[in-house]
Amino acid sequence: MAGWLRQHRGLIPYLFLLPGVLWLLVFFVLPMLAMASVATQEGTLGTGFRQTFNVGVFPEVLDRYAPHFLRSLEYALVVTLLTIGIGFPMAYTIAFRGGRYKNVLLLLVIMPFFTSFVIRTISWKFILADQGFVLGTLKDAGIVDEGFRILATPAAVISGITYNFLPFFVLPMYVALERIDYRLVEAATDLYASRLQAFLRVTLPLSIPGLFAGSLLTFIPAAGDYINAELLGGTRDTQMIGNVVQTLYIVNRDYPHAAAVSLILMVALLVGVVAYRRVLRGQELTV
Amino acid sequence: MPDPRNDRTQIERAIARALAQGRISRRRFLRQAGKGGLITASALSLPAILAACGISPSSAGTGSAVSSASGAPVGGELSGELIFANWPLYIDQDEDTGESPTLDQFTEATGSTVDYQEAIQDNQEFFGTIQPQLEAGEPTGWDMIVMTDWMVGNMINLGYLEQIDVAASVPNFVANADDKYKNPSYDPNNLHSVPWASGYTGIAYNPELTGREITGFADLLDPEFEGRIGMFSEVRDSLSLALLHNGVEPKDATEDDVRAANEVLKEQAPLVRGYYGNEYAQELASGSLAVTMAWSGDVFQLQFDNPDLRFIIPEAGGILWIDNMCIPKGAAHPADALAMMDFVFQPEIAAQMAEYINFICPVPAAQDIIRQHAEEAESEEDRDYYTAVAESPLVFPTAEDLAKVHSYKVLSEEEEALWNELFQEVTQG
Repeated sequence: MAGWLRQHRGLIPYLFLLPGVLWLLVFFVLPMLAMASVATQEGTLGTGFRQTFNVGVFPEVLDRYAPHFLRSLEYALVVTLLTIGIGFPMAYTIAFRGGRYKNVLLLLVIMPFFTSFVIRTISWKFILADQGFVLGTLKDAGIVDEGFRILATPAAVISGITYNFLPFFVLPMYVALERIDYRLVEAATDLYASRLQAFLRVTLPLSIPGLFAGSLLTFIPAAGDYINAELLGGTRDTQMIGNVVQTLYIVNRDYPHAAAVSLILMVALLVGVVAYRRVLRGQELTV
Repeated sequence: MPDPRNDRTQIERAIARALAQGRISRRRFLRQAGKGGLITASALSLPAILAACGISPSSAGTGSAVSSASGAPVGGELSGELIFANWPLYIDQDEDTGESPTLDQFTEATGSTVDYQEAIQDNQEFFGTIQPQLEAGEPTGWDMIVMTDWMVGNMINLGYLEQIDVAASVPNFVANADDKYKNPSYDPNNLHSVPWASGYTGIAYNPELTGREITGFADLLDPEFEGRIGMFSEVRDSLSLALLHNGVEPKDATEDDVRAANEVLKEQAPLVRGYYGNEYAQELASGSLAVTMAWSGDVFQLQFDNPDLRFIIPEAGGILWIDNMCIPKGAAHPADALAMMDFVFQPEIAAQMAEYINFICPVPAAQDIIRQHAEEAESEEDRDYYTAVAESPLVFPTAEDLAKVHSYKVLSEEEEALWNELFQEVTQG
């Protein structure tokens, strides 16, 4: 085997890639094609779905669920801006001022991952319940109005998603900042740049790859999230596109429409990512 | 000064070395990865795949499945095994051992061991997991499942349930079950199912938060409770209560009736905090909901923690739903399933289960047995508990309450699609 490989060195990269390619083929490409196929079928579960190449389904669901698409993109955008606002200073501090506590701080960032996503979100429900220990206490003290609530509002959904995806931003951001050679910043200040100028013209441009990766890792799952909207929202005006897919697929068992909505979401995100990459001057998807 | 970046450079060097040994530069590696992807993709023709992926119809559409009407009732010898899917917290459980006394006694009486799994969270969802096998005419792996009346009706129509002969195989049902469970509209003559437990869909409220008595569905439409109203995500429950509010019997609802009822729900939606499944109970208990649609047995249990909570059947009418034991087509151990059906209709067993489940018990004779348990109870706490169960109209219903409740409509596939589509406008806009 080893001898054969030595003779056919050219095949080695393909062998290395084989598991990954097979994995993607079976769990990504085939389901995608199946989804594309289901989207253009017509029928019901009882009578069966027949392939009619009904491409009219795409404009139909786009029109029907436009508010949900827009709401998802809007929430995801706000979430991404919030994670940048919260996560950038966090990553910056850990990378440049963390000192010997760096590892501890990073561990704290990923600590929430040791508990299930759903459990964490449900615990927010208990903490923020209308008569729970936070709001109940504030209400008893007369600080907030009796009818005040946090749950079942867009703010609750956005906060929940921000909380859940913050580590996805902080980690790549940290990696990007941490690999910056601090001597460059020192050189800038030596050459009479103010601290702000040094940050804006040295640190920030060098951290763009982290910003790009981190914001995508936040924005994409945030746009498709439905757990937060389900558990922390639940009202009609907090339904995201993920909730629509879930209802169409599991409750209504309307597979074509569910598949069409999913495909549109995917294409929209793909187009968005490409555009975003252009804005950030052709950054690679790698950090 | 030790540079923390040293570790990483070492790793990077190691990777670079490993790659260099294979004489593959990183750039080339990536380029070849791209080629690999293209080769694999082009090997598969897109239209071929698109055409191949279809979803074949359920057997009812084609009529290919063995029709349940023509099949003979199941029976035969006990096999010594029973695989039973039920809903969570739906059988008695010993607090210390976690075992179910009913299941243990069943094994003792019949020699059949039970693989009992709390596998059902939702009618639709569970049906989705067994539907492909039933459609293909293969066994589902379950010998007995518990499904709500309308789903039993659906499954009968699809030919998915084994036929049973209650007179021969479930004599305790014939002898002990309340008459209202016999010959139900969703399963004439109980040819496929017998009840496990039942309950009301009605309204629960916390008087401290509402500040007044709640009497009917109109209270769920009151802007005063904005953001503190709970509704059910189950389309049949929510639309049925709205139909009754409009004075329409759900069983007889026409498309126009359903559209009118849906308009009521759509107008109500801005006031609603959420459309819930089982989790409404926590929201009610935590005080986030002041008034909500509710299932009777849940409220009975919540009342032990908060005696103020109340359950009512709306003035215009509520729903009586019935969960039923049934045998999916192709079950491996049907005789054991029949034995279990018969076993739980003994009044002593029914009483033992009702003491735990707290939904409506289908065996009226169980009431006196629970009263007796109250008299024999060793602690005051136990006595109070058994008395509460035996005397609760939510476990042993009064004729007055029963006069106010109605049944779900068994929906055709077109109707179900319509109901779902309409109701989605309520819950999701």
